[in-house]
Amino acid sequence: MTDLSSTGPVRTGGTARRNGRGLTGLLLVSVPVALLGWLIIYPIFNAIGRTILRTDGTGPGFSLDTYVRFFSDGYSLANLWLTLWVTAVCAALLLAICLPLSLYLRFAKSRVAAVVQGLSLFPMFVPSVILAYALIRTIGPNGGVDLVLNALGLPKINSPYLTPWGPIIGLVWDNIPLTTLMLVAGLGAVSDNAVEAARDAGARPWAVLRHIILPQIGNAVLVVLSFTVLSIFSAFTLPYVLGPASPEMMGPFMQRTFGQVMDTRMAVTQAVITFAICAVFGAFYVRSIARNRKNGR
Amino acid sequence: MTIAETSLATANPVASRKTRRPDWIGGLLAVLLGIVVVVPLIVVAIWAFAEVWRYPSLLPQEWGLRFWTATLSRPDVWTAMSLSIRLSLVVTALSALICLPAAYAFARMDFPAKNVLFLSFLASHAFPKFGLLVAIAGIFLNLGLISTFWGVVLIQLVGTLMMMIWIPVAAFQNVDRAMEEAARDAGAGPIRVFWSVSLPQAAPTIFAAVLLSFVGTFYETEGAWLIGAPEIRTMPVLMITYINNQIVVQYGAVLSVLLWIPSFVALMFTRRLVGSSSFAKGFGV
Repeated sequence: MTDLSSTGPVRTGGTARRNGRGLTGLLLVSVPVALLGWLIIYPIFNAIGRTILRTDGTGPGFSLDTYVRFFSDGYSLANLWLTLWVTAVCAALLLAICLPLSLYLRFAKSRVAAVVQGLSLFPMFVPSVILAYALIRTIGPNGGVDLVLNALGLPKINSPYLTPWGPIIGLVWDNIPLTTLMLVAGLGAVSDNAVEAARDAGARPWAVLRHIILPQIGNAVLVVLSFTVLSIFSAFTLPYVLGPASPEMMGPFMQRTFGQVMDTRMAVTQAVITFAICAVFGAFYVRSIARNRKNGR
Repeated sequence: MTIAETSLATANPVASRKTRRPDWIGGLLAVLLGIVVVVPLIVVAIWAFAEVWRYPSLLPQEWGLRFWTATLSRPDVWTAMSLSIRLSLVVTALSALICLPAAYAFARMDFPAKNVLFLSFLASHAFPKFGLLVAIAGIFLNLGLISTFWGVVLIQLVGTLMMMIWIPVAAFQNVDRAMEEAARDAGAGPIRVFWSVSLPQAAPTIFAAVLLSFVGTFYETEGAWLIGAPEIRTMPVLMITYINNQIVVQYGAVLSVLLWIPSFVALMFTRRLVGSSSFAKGFGV
């Protein structure tokens, strides 16, 4: 679909003309590429440079003081641990929810499947601010769920609002559509014939899943996991609105350090630490995009 | 089209075997998803039309539109709304202006380093977004772009790059080459071929991408909050302040229902694109 090498029949108009076309192409992509360089690539190097180079009067020097401060500060470390824990729980929950869902969507052909697909895509169109508000009203103290439980004569729930479970529920809700879409796309690699053949040979559904389906979608699952980790690790809105104030997740922590404490250097240090932790997942993600593109050719 | 037809044909025996019995799993999934996805939104909708709703009652004691008038007569709501719309229009227009030609070049032209450059757009997902925003905010602070309209435009423009390049590239590649050749043989110049043959075919998908960018920018919270504070208060940022300060519950509810309208429009027009596998491929699967 997006195979770049298929540029149609190359018209042989001599090298001069081809060079001209090459320049036009470069010119057309130059503005977005420049923007990408200035606002994505440069900030990363700038952030690293700014936090390890000392600029205080005594001339240029090398200093890791903000990193030392971060890793020796109990509060910062608690925030980091909370973020790691929330990310891990979200990733596990998302897989547990979306894998069955995508398996169903991949193989079901009934009319109900269209409804299920619509419902699972729906959260993509609900902005996270509205989601946060809706969750407070629903599972917050005296919210919708409490009302129903109370009407049934049952005790109230232990509200997850302002606990780590608040952002977990919100982030899982928010990420269901993309995770499901990506898993369904990954399941596209599994052929109906292989599954049918295994079923005809008498394989139980569980055996089909373990021996036919899972081995083929292993890579897709890892890509989905990396993507999820990258988006949840530095989430801001949902943790800020639904999460606990102390310890807080890295997103709100960075925002507060930048906007309220006004310690830009420390905020950027925290950002670099999130880059470092996510680097493994980022590298894996890029590698598999590159490999997919090569295979697709 | 032919591929779709053949795959449908091979899938048919499976389909008929499946549909003979009711789809219990699908029904169960639909009910569960329905509860989890729809109920929170219904609660908000009820709150928007509740005038009095005290705790143990299952439904509001008094219904009415009093809080709609109250919310809509607040000047900060109108300031934020017009700012959000202006921001989204400027960002989407700029994004279309710089990305669509680039997408055409990526799809149809040959130039040095094309694959590396294209890959780098897809790879922009490989960084934790908020960390990146903080790093950019550090740079903008020195440039005096913090808390300015154009600072927020820049940050939101970067957010739209991926979508406005990836989807239109796929659209331009799916244009029927034979029709272009035919038009060229009939004597049409390159611009005329592009305008009358290529663009109309790619237009529906491009329109969906533009719409998704507009709605995505309208709801973008994190960049607007970090770069725009305290001067630039967009609709979602205002919404967060309402949630945090909890002045009147209904203000948030009314704003949510109002903010939904663009969402529903996007849902109508882009569901087919979003549900397609080419959309998921943009995220690297």
